[in-house]
Amino acid sequence: MADQTYFEDINVGDAIPTLAVTVDETQMFFFSAATYNGHRIHYDKTWATEVEGYPNILVHGPLQAALLARAVTDWAGPDGRLVSYAIQNRASAFPGEELRFVGTVTGKRDEGADSGSAADHGAADHGAADHGRGLVDLEIRGEKGEAQVLMPGTATVSLPKRG
Amino acid sequence: MSTQESLIPPEATKLIGTEQARAAGIVEKKQFQRWAAAVKDRNPLYFDADFARAHGYRDVIAPPLYVQYVTLGITDPDALRPDGTPGGGAGDIPLPACPRRMAGGENWQFHAPLYDGDVITATRRIEDITEKSGRSGRFVLVTWLASYRNAGGELVAEARSSMIARP
Repeated sequence: MADQTYFEDINVGDAIPTLAVTVDETQMFFFSAATYNGHRIHYDKTWATEVEGYPNILVHGPLQAALLARAVTDWAGPDGRLVSYAIQNRASAFPGEELRFVGTVTGKRDEGADSGSAADHGAADHGAADHGRGLVDLEIRGEKGEAQVLMPGTATVSLPKRG
Repeated sequence: MSTQESLIPPEATKLIGTEQARAAGIVEKKQFQRWAAAVKDRNPLYFDADFARAHGYRDVIAPPLYVQYVTLGITDPDALRPDGTPGGGAGDIPLPACPRRMAGGENWQFHAPLYDGDVITATRRIEDITEKSGRSGRFVLVTWLASYRNAGGELVAEARSSMIARP
Protein backbone atom coordinates (compact mmCIF):
# COMPACT_ATOMS: atom_id res chain seq x y z
CA MET A 1 0.00 0.00 0.00
CA ALA A 2 2.68 2.49 0.96
CA ASP A 3 4.79 1.42 -2.00
CA GLN A 4 5.13 4.16 -4.58
CA THR A 5 4.61 3.62 -8.30
CA TYR A 6 6.71 5.90 -10.50
CA PHE A 7 5.84 7.13 -13.96
CA GLU A 8 9.08 5.92 -15.55
CA ASP A 9 8.53 2.37 -14.31
CA ILE A 10 5.16 1.97 -16.03
CA ASN A 11 4.70 0.58 -19.53
CA VAL A 12 1.67 0.32 -21.76
CA GLY A 13 0.23 -3.15 -21.30
CA ASP A 14 1.22 -3.44 -17.64
CA ALA A 15 -1.43 -4.91 -15.39
CA ILE A 16 -2.11 -3.46 -11.96
CA PRO A 17 -2.42 -5.93 -9.07
CA THR A 18 -5.85 -7.56 -9.00
CA LEU A 19 -7.99 -6.77 -5.98
CA ALA A 20 -10.13 -9.82 -5.17
CA VAL A 21 -12.98 -9.23 -2.72
CA THR A 22 -15.89 -11.34 -1.54
CA VAL A 23 -18.47 -8.92 -0.19
CA ASP A 24 -20.68 -10.22 2.62
CA GLU A 25 -23.93 -8.94 4.12
CA THR A 26 -22.11 -7.22 6.99
CA GLN A 27 -19.95 -5.15 4.64
CA MET A 28 -23.06 -4.33 2.61
CA PHE A 29 -24.87 -3.17 5.74
CA PHE A 30 -21.98 -0.87 6.66
CA PHE A 31 -21.79 0.51 3.13
CA SER A 32 -25.54 1.23 3.16
CA ALA A 33 -25.08 2.97 6.51
CA ALA A 34 -22.03 4.96 5.40
CA THR A 35 -23.90 6.18 2.31
CA TYR A 36 -27.28 6.67 4.01
CA ASN A 37 -28.82 4.24 1.53
CA GLY A 38 -32.20 2.76 2.43
CA HIS A 39 -32.72 0.82 -0.81
CA ARG A 40 -34.25 -2.52 0.24
CA ILE A 41 -32.61 -4.32 -2.64
CA HIS A 42 -29.36 -4.21 -0.65
CA TYR A 43 -30.65 -5.76 2.61
CA ASP A 44 -34.17 -7.15 2.27
CA LYS A 45 -33.83 -10.58 0.67
CA THR A 46 -37.58 -11.12 0.49
CA TRP A 47 -37.98 -7.84 -1.38
CA ALA A 48 -35.05 -8.50 -3.70
CA THR A 49 -36.21 -12.01 -4.64
CA GLU A 50 -40.01 -11.89 -4.51
CA VAL A 51 -40.68 -8.32 -5.64
CA GLU A 52 -37.70 -7.56 -7.86
CA GLY A 53 -36.99 -11.09 -9.04
CA TYR A 54 -33.27 -11.24 -8.22
CA PRO A 55 -31.67 -14.42 -6.84
CA ASN A 56 -30.38 -12.55 -3.78
CA ILE A 57 -29.75 -9.06 -2.41
CA LEU A 58 -27.50 -6.97 -4.68
CA VAL A 59 -24.04 -5.58 -3.94
CA HIS A 60 -24.30 -1.80 -4.36
CA GLY A 61 -23.02 -0.44 -7.68
CA PRO A 62 -21.26 2.38 -5.76
CA LEU A 63 -19.51 -0.21 -3.55
CA GLN A 64 -18.23 -1.98 -6.65
CA ALA A 65 -17.13 1.40 -8.00
CA ALA A 66 -15.37 2.20 -4.72
CA LEU A 67 -13.55 -1.16 -4.76
CA LEU A 68 -12.45 -0.62 -8.35
CA ALA A 69 -11.15 2.84 -7.44
CA ARG A 70 -9.37 1.29 -4.43
CA ALA A 71 -7.55 -1.12 -6.76
CA VAL A 72 -6.32 1.89 -8.75
CA THR A 73 -5.32 4.11 -5.83
CA ASP A 74 -3.61 1.21 -4.01
CA TRP A 75 -1.49 0.69 -7.12
CA ALA A 76 -0.85 4.42 -7.64
CA GLY A 77 0.61 4.77 -4.14
CA PRO A 78 0.46 7.72 -1.75
CA ASP A 79 2.01 10.20 -4.18
CA GLY A 80 -0.28 9.11 -7.01
CA ARG A 81 -3.55 10.94 -7.59
CA LEU A 82 -6.74 9.83 -9.20
CA VAL A 83 -7.43 12.47 -11.87
CA SER A 84 -10.39 10.93 -13.67
CA TYR A 85 -12.47 7.83 -13.21
CA ALA A 86 -15.31 6.53 -15.39
CA ILE A 87 -17.36 3.35 -15.03
CA GLN A 88 -20.50 1.78 -16.40
CA ASN A 89 -22.87 -0.52 -14.50
CA ARG A 90 -23.22 -3.71 -16.54
CA ALA A 91 -24.26 -6.61 -14.34
CA SER A 92 -25.35 -7.43 -10.81
CA ALA A 93 -23.14 -8.86 -8.10
CA PHE A 94 -24.29 -10.80 -5.05
CA PRO A 95 -22.83 -11.37 -1.57
CA GLY A 96 -20.60 -14.44 -1.36
CA GLU A 97 -19.34 -14.12 -4.93
CA GLU A 98 -15.68 -13.41 -5.51
CA LEU A 99 -15.36 -10.08 -7.32
CA ARG A 100 -12.13 -9.10 -9.03
CA PHE A 101 -11.04 -5.56 -9.79
CA VAL A 102 -8.40 -5.30 -12.49
CA GLY A 103 -6.68 -2.74 -14.68
CA THR A 104 -4.26 -2.44 -17.58
CA VAL A 105 -2.16 0.56 -18.63
CA THR A 106 -3.31 1.85 -22.04
CA GLY A 107 -1.27 5.03 -22.34
CA LYS A 108 1.17 7.41 -20.67
CA ARG A 109 1.99 11.05 -21.30
CA ASP A 110 3.68 13.99 -19.66
CA GLU A 111 1.54 16.09 -17.43
CA GLY A 112 1.82 19.17 -19.63
CA ALA A 113 -0.04 22.40 -20.08
CA ASP A 114 -2.97 20.56 -21.67
CA SER A 115 -3.78 18.91 -18.37
CA GLY A 116 -3.60 21.86 -16.01
CA SER A 117 -6.09 20.57 -13.49
CA ALA A 118 -3.87 17.89 -12.07
CA ALA A 119 -1.10 20.42 -11.50
CA ASP A 120 -3.50 22.54 -9.44
CA HIS A 121 -4.28 19.62 -7.20
CA GLY A 122 -2.76 21.41 -4.22
CA ALA A 123 -0.75 18.61 -2.72
CA ALA A 124 2.57 16.83 -3.00
CA ASP A 125 4.15 20.12 -4.02
CA HIS A 126 6.55 20.09 -1.10
CA GLY A 127 8.47 17.57 0.91
CA ALA A 128 10.45 15.20 -1.26
CA ALA A 129 12.23 16.65 -4.27
CA ASP A 130 9.75 17.27 -7.04
CA HIS A 131 10.81 15.79 -10.35
CA GLY A 132 7.54 16.42 -12.12
CA ARG A 133 4.66 14.15 -12.86
CA GLY A 134 3.13 12.15 -15.67
CA LEU A 135 -0.33 10.90 -16.52
CA VAL A 136 -1.14 7.23 -16.98
CA ASP A 137 -4.36 6.00 -18.60
CA LEU A 138 -5.87 2.70 -17.57
CA GLU A 139 -8.60 0.43 -18.75
CA ILE A 140 -10.23 -0.95 -15.62
CA ARG A 141 -13.04 -3.36 -14.81
CA GLY A 142 -14.84 -5.27 -12.12
CA GLU A 143 -15.58 -8.87 -13.01
CA LYS A 144 -16.72 -12.16 -11.50
CA GLY A 145 -16.93 -15.81 -12.44
CA GLU A 146 -15.41 -16.67 -15.80
CA ALA A 147 -14.48 -13.07 -16.61
CA GLN A 148 -18.09 -11.81 -16.59
CA VAL A 149 -17.79 -8.03 -16.74
CA LEU A 150 -19.66 -6.23 -13.96
CA MET A 151 -18.26 -2.79 -14.43
CA PRO A 152 -16.02 -1.68 -17.30
CA GLY A 153 -14.31 1.68 -17.15
CA THR A 154 -11.28 3.90 -17.56
CA ALA A 155 -9.12 5.90 -15.18
CA THR A 156 -6.34 8.44 -15.40
CA VAL A 157 -3.78 8.68 -12.63
CA SER A 158 -1.07 11.27 -12.07
CA LEU A 159 2.19 9.64 -10.95
CA PRO A 160 5.41 11.21 -9.69
CA LYS A 161 8.61 10.89 -11.70
CA ARG A 162 11.79 9.53 -10.23
CA GLY A 163 13.61 12.42 -11.87
CA MET B 1 -48.20 1.86 -39.32
CA SER B 2 -48.25 5.35 -37.83
CA THR B 3 -45.10 7.14 -36.76
CA GLN B 4 -43.95 6.03 -33.32
CA GLU B 5 -44.64 8.54 -30.61
CA SER B 6 -41.59 9.91 -28.83
CA LEU B 7 -40.84 8.37 -25.44
CA ILE B 8 -39.94 11.86 -24.20
CA PRO B 9 -42.86 14.18 -23.47
CA PRO B 10 -42.39 17.97 -23.89
CA GLU B 11 -42.48 18.41 -20.09
CA ALA B 12 -39.28 16.33 -19.94
CA THR B 13 -37.60 18.02 -22.92
CA LYS B 14 -37.94 21.44 -21.34
CA LEU B 15 -35.89 20.27 -18.34
CA ILE B 16 -32.76 19.90 -20.48
CA GLY B 17 -30.16 22.40 -19.34
CA THR B 18 -31.92 23.23 -16.10
CA GLU B 19 -30.46 22.93 -12.62
CA GLN B 20 -32.21 20.03 -10.96
CA ALA B 21 -30.71 20.15 -7.50
CA ARG B 22 -28.42 22.23 -5.31
CA ALA B 23 -27.22 21.13 -1.91
CA ALA B 24 -24.46 21.97 0.56
CA GLY B 25 -22.66 19.92 3.16
CA ILE B 26 -19.54 19.79 5.30
CA VAL B 27 -16.78 17.21 4.81
CA GLU B 28 -16.44 15.33 8.10
CA LYS B 29 -13.43 13.17 8.81
CA LYS B 30 -15.30 10.54 10.77
CA GLN B 31 -17.90 10.19 8.01
CA PHE B 32 -15.39 9.67 5.22
CA GLN B 33 -13.35 7.32 7.40
CA ARG B 34 -16.49 5.26 8.02
CA TRP B 35 -17.05 5.15 4.27
CA ALA B 36 -13.45 4.05 3.65
CA ALA B 37 -13.76 1.42 6.41
CA ALA B 38 -16.94 0.07 4.79
CA VAL B 39 -15.01 -0.27 1.53
CA LYS B 40 -12.14 -1.83 3.54
CA ASP B 41 -9.96 0.82 1.94
CA ARG B 42 -7.24 1.27 4.56
CA ASN B 43 -5.28 3.87 2.61
CA PRO B 44 -3.27 5.79 5.26
CA LEU B 45 -3.90 9.06 3.38
CA TYR B 46 -7.47 8.80 4.72
CA PHE B 47 -6.59 7.81 8.30
CA ASP B 48 -3.10 8.96 9.29
CA ALA B 49 -2.53 12.72 9.33
CA ASP B 50 1.25 12.42 9.75
CA PHE B 51 1.42 10.09 6.78
CA ALA B 52 -0.74 12.44 4.69
CA ARG B 53 1.49 15.42 5.65
CA ALA B 54 4.58 13.46 4.65
CA HIS B 55 3.00 13.17 1.20
CA GLY B 56 2.23 16.86 0.73
CA TYR B 57 -1.27 17.14 2.13
CA ARG B 58 -2.11 19.35 5.11
CA ASP B 59 -4.23 16.67 6.82
CA VAL B 60 -5.93 13.38 6.02
CA ILE B 61 -7.90 13.61 2.79
CA ALA B 62 -11.27 12.13 1.86
CA PRO B 63 -11.38 9.27 -0.64
CA PRO B 64 -12.09 10.94 -4.01
CA LEU B 65 -15.43 9.18 -4.64
CA TYR B 66 -16.66 10.18 -1.19
CA VAL B 67 -17.43 13.70 -2.46
CA GLN B 68 -20.85 12.57 -3.75
CA TYR B 69 -22.03 11.83 -0.21
CA VAL B 70 -21.01 15.11 1.43
CA THR B 71 -24.19 16.91 0.46
CA LEU B 72 -26.71 14.17 1.27
CA GLY B 73 -29.76 15.54 3.03
CA ILE B 74 -32.15 14.08 5.57
CA THR B 75 -34.64 11.44 4.48
CA ASP B 76 -38.04 11.05 6.11
CA PRO B 77 -38.55 7.27 6.45
CA ASP B 78 -42.30 7.78 6.06
CA ALA B 79 -41.79 9.51 2.71
CA LEU B 80 -39.80 6.71 1.06
CA ARG B 81 -40.98 4.77 -1.94
CA PRO B 82 -41.90 1.12 -1.24
CA ASP B 83 -38.41 -0.01 -2.30
CA GLY B 84 -36.81 2.19 0.35
CA THR B 85 -35.41 4.84 -2.01
CA PRO B 86 -36.22 8.50 -1.58
CA GLY B 87 -38.17 10.37 -4.22
CA GLY B 88 -36.51 13.06 -6.24
CA GLY B 89 -33.54 12.62 -8.53
CA ALA B 90 -34.45 10.57 -11.56
CA GLY B 91 -38.03 10.32 -10.29
CA ASP B 92 -38.54 14.02 -10.95
CA ILE B 93 -38.14 13.63 -14.70
CA PRO B 94 -41.55 12.93 -16.21
CA LEU B 95 -41.05 9.86 -18.41
CA PRO B 96 -44.34 8.03 -17.86
CA ALA B 97 -43.75 5.76 -20.84
CA CYS B 98 -40.49 4.49 -19.33
CA PRO B 99 -41.02 3.20 -15.79
CA ARG B 100 -38.04 0.85 -15.77
CA ARG B 101 -34.97 2.77 -14.64
CA MET B 102 -31.38 1.65 -14.29
CA ALA B 103 -28.12 3.39 -13.56
CA GLY B 104 -25.95 3.92 -16.62
CA GLY B 105 -22.48 5.11 -15.88
CA GLU B 106 -20.53 7.86 -14.18
CA ASN B 107 -17.51 9.84 -15.26
CA TRP B 108 -15.57 11.73 -12.60
CA GLN B 109 -12.93 14.46 -12.80
CA PHE B 110 -11.10 15.21 -9.54
CA HIS B 111 -9.49 18.62 -9.28
CA ALA B 112 -8.56 19.11 -5.61
CA PRO B 113 -8.41 17.06 -2.41
CA LEU B 114 -11.16 17.29 0.21
CA TYR B 115 -10.36 17.96 3.86
CA ASP B 116 -12.29 17.76 7.11
CA GLY B 117 -14.32 20.94 7.49
CA ASP B 118 -14.53 21.84 3.80
CA VAL B 119 -17.94 23.22 2.89
CA ILE B 120 -19.04 21.71 -0.42
CA THR B 121 -21.85 22.90 -2.64
CA ALA B 122 -23.12 20.47 -5.25
CA THR B 123 -25.20 21.48 -8.23
CA ARG B 124 -26.77 19.01 -10.61
CA ARG B 125 -27.89 20.00 -14.08
CA ILE B 126 -29.77 17.89 -16.59
CA GLU B 127 -27.43 17.87 -19.52
CA ASP B 128 -29.48 15.86 -22.00
CA ILE B 129 -32.52 13.61 -22.43
CA THR B 130 -32.43 11.63 -25.67
CA GLU B 131 -34.18 8.67 -27.16
CA LYS B 132 -32.00 5.81 -28.38
CA SER B 133 -32.50 2.45 -29.92
CA GLY B 134 -30.54 -0.61 -28.86
CA ARG B 135 -30.62 -4.36 -29.21
CA SER B 136 -33.35 -4.61 -26.60
CA GLY B 137 -35.47 -1.85 -28.14
CA ARG B 138 -36.05 1.83 -27.58
CA PHE B 139 -34.92 3.60 -24.42
CA VAL B 140 -34.30 7.07 -23.04
CA LEU B 141 -30.84 8.16 -21.92
CA VAL B 142 -30.72 10.92 -19.30
CA THR B 143 -27.37 12.63 -18.61
CA TRP B 144 -26.58 14.85 -15.64
CA LEU B 145 -23.55 16.97 -14.82
CA ALA B 146 -22.85 17.43 -11.12
CA SER B 147 -20.34 20.08 -10.00
CA TYR B 148 -18.82 20.22 -6.54
CA ARG B 149 -17.32 23.50 -5.32
CA ASN B 150 -15.71 24.47 -2.02
CA ALA B 151 -16.40 27.58 0.03
CA GLY B 152 -13.95 29.55 -2.09
CA GLY B 153 -15.85 28.63 -5.24
CA GLU B 154 -13.06 26.34 -6.43
CA LEU B 155 -14.24 23.39 -8.51
CA VAL B 156 -13.10 20.30 -6.58
CA ALA B 157 -14.84 17.59 -8.61
CA GLU B 158 -17.25 17.04 -11.46
CA ALA B 159 -19.30 14.00 -12.37
CA ARG B 160 -21.25 13.24 -15.48
CA SER B 161 -23.73 10.46 -14.82
CA SER B 162 -26.44 8.74 -16.80
CA MET B 163 -29.62 6.75 -16.37
CA ILE B 164 -31.41 4.46 -18.78
CA ALA B 165 -35.21 4.46 -18.74
CA ARG B 166 -37.10 1.76 -20.67
CA PRO B 167 -40.76 1.23 -21.53
